[in-house]
Amino acid sequence: MRKFVINVNGKSYEVEVEEIRDGAPVAAPVSRPAAAPAPAPKAAPAAKPAAAVPASATSVTAPMPGTILAVNVKEGDTVNEGDVVCVLEAMKMENEIMAPKAGKIVAVNVTQGASVNSGDVLVAIG
Amino acid sequence: MSTIDKLNDLQYRRSVIEQGGGADKVKKQHESGKLTARERINLLMDEGSFIEVDAFVKHRGTEFDMPNIEAPGEGVVTGYGTVDGRLVFVYAQDFTVIGGSLGEMHAKKICKVMDMAMEMGAPIVGINDSGGARIQEGIDALSGFGEIFYRNTLASGVIPQISVIMGPCAGGAVYSPAITDFTFMVDKTSQMFITGPQVIKAVTGEDVSFEELGGAMTHNSKSGVAHFMSDNDEACMEKVKLLLSYLPSNNLSDSPMYENNDDLNRLSQRLTEIVPDDANKAYDMKEIITEVVDNGDFFEVHPHFAQNIIVGFARMNGRTVGIIANQPKVLAGSLDVNSSDKAARFIRFCDSFNIPLLTFTDVPGYLPGVSQEHNGIIRHGAKLLYAYSEATVPKINVIVRKAYGGAYIAMSSKHLGADMVFAWPTAEIAVMGPEGAANIIFRKEIANAADPIATRTEKIEEYRNKFANPYVAAARGYVDDVIEPDSTRPRIISALEMLASKRENRPAKKHGNIPV
Repeated sequence: MRKFVINVNGKSYEVEVEEIRDGAPVAAPVSRPAAAPAPAPKAAPAAKPAAAVPASATSVTAPMPGTILAVNVKEGDTVNEGDVVCVLEAMKMENEIMAPKAGKIVAVNVTQGASVNSGDVLVAIG
Repeated sequence: MSTIDKLNDLQYRRSVIEQGGGADKVKKQHESGKLTARERINLLMDEGSFIEVDAFVKHRGTEFDMPNIEAPGEGVVTGYGTVDGRLVFVYAQDFTVIGGSLGEMHAKKICKVMDMAMEMGAPIVGINDSGGARIQEGIDALSGFGEIFYRNTLASGVIPQISVIMGPCAGGAVYSPAITDFTFMVDKTSQMFITGPQVIKAVTGEDVSFEELGGAMTHNSKSGVAHFMSDNDEACMEKVKLLLSYLPSNNLSDSPMYENNDDLNRLSQRLTEIVPDDANKAYDMKEIITEVVDNGDFFEVHPHFAQNIIVGFARMNGRTVGIIANQPKVLAGSLDVNSSDKAARFIRFCDSFNIPLLTFTDVPGYLPGVSQEHNGIIRHGAKLLYAYSEATVPKINVIVRKAYGGAYIAMSSKHLGADMVFAWPTAEIAVMGPEGAANIIFRKEIANAADPIATRTEKIEEYRNKFANPYVAAARGYVDDVIEPDSTRPRIISALEMLASKRENRPAKKHGNIPV
């Protein structure tokens, strides 16, 4: 059994992997998220486009649960620090989510109308 | 020895002590971007006002190589002086002398100035730059820490205590700053932690840098341990002085009065324009604060931590007030675990030191979420209610926009003993927002209607017109007056003058039991 730390969408998961030998039956690989409960981390290529996000990118996360009212950026856009990247409606307020730094948008994980949870990655800035 | 020789001897002894750890160590200190203990004290104090105490104190260590170790000044410079003409006590750990490590006599020096500060009723500023306990002195060093924590606690609420972290502050040493009222940190040169990166790596396997674990920004934004952050020692000391200018010297005196050229009757048309017509739109509450206070000067405390609530000092007609305000721009201004903690601690500081509380309310409620509930929003939110209820200083509240549900009660409501509650005509004071309330109250009507969506919208509008305003609360006397936004400043100043002689008797008790 070997241990790996795998980063998916900016979340890190500790994964235990067991090598399967010829014909020998083995126990199902055990995997457990290192942080909060999350979708099965062992799932192969993530369905989300964020799979290609380089580790160096800065993730912009939802500060609280709510609905995405508007997405102001698309992949490849250049943003300045403080630019509004999307608007999150939560607590009956249109909360402007701002870019924490200047850079290029390398991933957009949400669309208008999407429900997000606190901590979900909305966009990533490279 | 003639008298002249004795004088020369005295001067020689003193000069050795004033050189601290020597030129090499001082050079190293400067190269790492830090000033020496004496340079820091000189930045803080009015020029030439610093009087040193206990310069000749020596350690009594006998174990290991301690008898051979010279520690000029015992690694800490202590004394008193004036800041803007007011008495302030100070101690500054000297990293150039055996790493500023804290031993028995080092602690005794600190305790002496703490005792003096308490007797004289003057603030104390502690400048921390130390490798930690002096291991060679064993439990005598631990005793030293304990004696300091004990005095920090006794002095809490008696004199303002300010901690300035200008180097390492690790292990037990962190608890003195934690007990004091305000903690300043300098970016890149100061760290605070209980256990360092090496220990963490060994025990949990986590890899973390000093800066990420306990640097200035970490403690200013994530943990809330520190209240202020500066780029360098000079800027930090300026900020300490600015803070002191707002504070009284002790719990029996009032904060200093400053000449004020801002008209107390100044009307501000701008206040009418800041709050958007649409209740779903955010705005920056700091614009309202700076528009109301003297000369727009607002000294924010904890600016990087729990930004959904704003706390800080300002003056109204020359006298200090403590301001607490929801920030609609961040997390919709809702109350959560961290913002409740931040505000409650600030309120208790102000109440301890006779600083009136001025609240600006625009709160949609408590932040919903599993993590909030599991992190104890019940316990933490209770602190805010407790702190407001407990405070006997003048309490004024201006309800700017939303004041809903439990969060309405928590934000300095009449029910918690606010002396004057003003509401702007834009205020919405109700048990909950129109959408939620209509869904519950008119559930049946909506469900049975031919067109539920239209009925729902209609009912929401009906509720909004009836309850989402300040007049229902004003009809009960829960709001003392509904005021024109432009007259907020004169109305607050007049209320503060009226409340200046406020006396409130509470049942005698040892102390309450705030849900820490």
